Amino acid sequence: MSATQGLLWLMALIALGLCLKRSTAMAMRAGRDGGRSLLRVLPLFCVALPMAAFLAELVPGDIAVGWLGPESGLQGIVIASVAGGLIPGGPFVSFPLVLTFTKAGAGVPQMAALVTGWAIYGFHRVIAWEVPVLGWRFVAIRMLAGLVLPILTGLGVSWLLPWFPGALIRP
Amino acid sequence: MPALIRQNLAFILLLAIGIAAAIATYVLRGEGAFRHALDSALGTFLFIVPSLVAGLLLAGALKQLVPAGALAKWMGAEAGLRGLVIATLVGMATPGGPMAAFPLVLVLARAGADRGALVAFIFAWSLNGFQRLLIYEVPLLGTDFTMMRVLLTLPMPILAGWLSRLIPIRWTPPA
Repeated sequence: MSATQGLLWLMALIALGLCLKRSTAMAMRAGRDGGRSLLRVLPLFCVALPMAAFLAELVPGDIAVGWLGPESGLQGIVIASVAGGLIPGGPFVSFPLVLTFTKAGAGVPQMAALVTGWAIYGFHRVIAWEVPVLGWRFVAIRMLAGLVLPILTGLGVSWLLPWFPGALIRP
Repeated sequence: MPALIRQNLAFILLLAIGIAAAIATYVLRGEGAFRHALDSALGTFLFIVPSLVAGLLLAGALKQLVPAGALAKWMGAEAGLRGLVIATLVGMATPGGPMAAFPLVLVLARAGADRGALVAFIFAWSLNGFQRLLIYEVPLLGTDFTMMRVLLTLPMPILAGWLSRLIPIRWTPPA
């Protein structure tokens, strides 16, 4: 078990303990909620992880390195931000894809830009949720306000990376 | 039947792309690459399952301890920086996908939250929602990457919310 996993379990047990202190029923609800989420998420992982692994075999390594590699700089960050916005679907798609690109040689700042672009531009969410609920004008305002943020994130990560040497290194 | 398909659209899409990619891998890259992909997927799966279970339990417990609805009432109509900060915190605390977040956006908009607060809420939820961090990002991409990204993006919802108040596009909240 890695340090991350140990910490996560420690936090989970503390939070469950706090629930238990309030009432047994609350701790039961928390456990049931976790179990329900697991049943929902597990099937998605079971198809998303093989999908990402097969895509990794198909994507030629030099494309990931050339377009999104550590040497791709600002241009790679911009490409990654836009590509992130085009990823359809939730975190069960985007995060396995980041793993796939990383294994194929993509750079850390580029992958941070990809995650941020997915979170901010995410066109599938705009079309399915934001436009129907809030309208096009609101989408325009939000997009203008957040337009440069994925690129800023990529640049910020290039700058912070020396302090986080363990970022995106697979055990 | 259509409802069943819609509910499981993500699963069906992923499965379809996965099968197509599997066939393509077998045909184009050979049996070795096919086995290698399956091994690598299994390895990743076994690696993330312990974190996944812990993350889900933590998220479930936090949801009980800090219900998002209780935070929402602190985000009133009066704007200012305080509204943006509160909207950011509420956004990060909001669990679940867009089917959970956007109905809440509507509730906040009707309760009088301004465009800045709504933008801050959406950005905070989509960038740094605690549930997604715990369930997906930390288990899959690791603590260092997640911490670095969260550190950088933490003030962004407030910044974007403030910017959105300056953008001269007319917009009235949905009735």
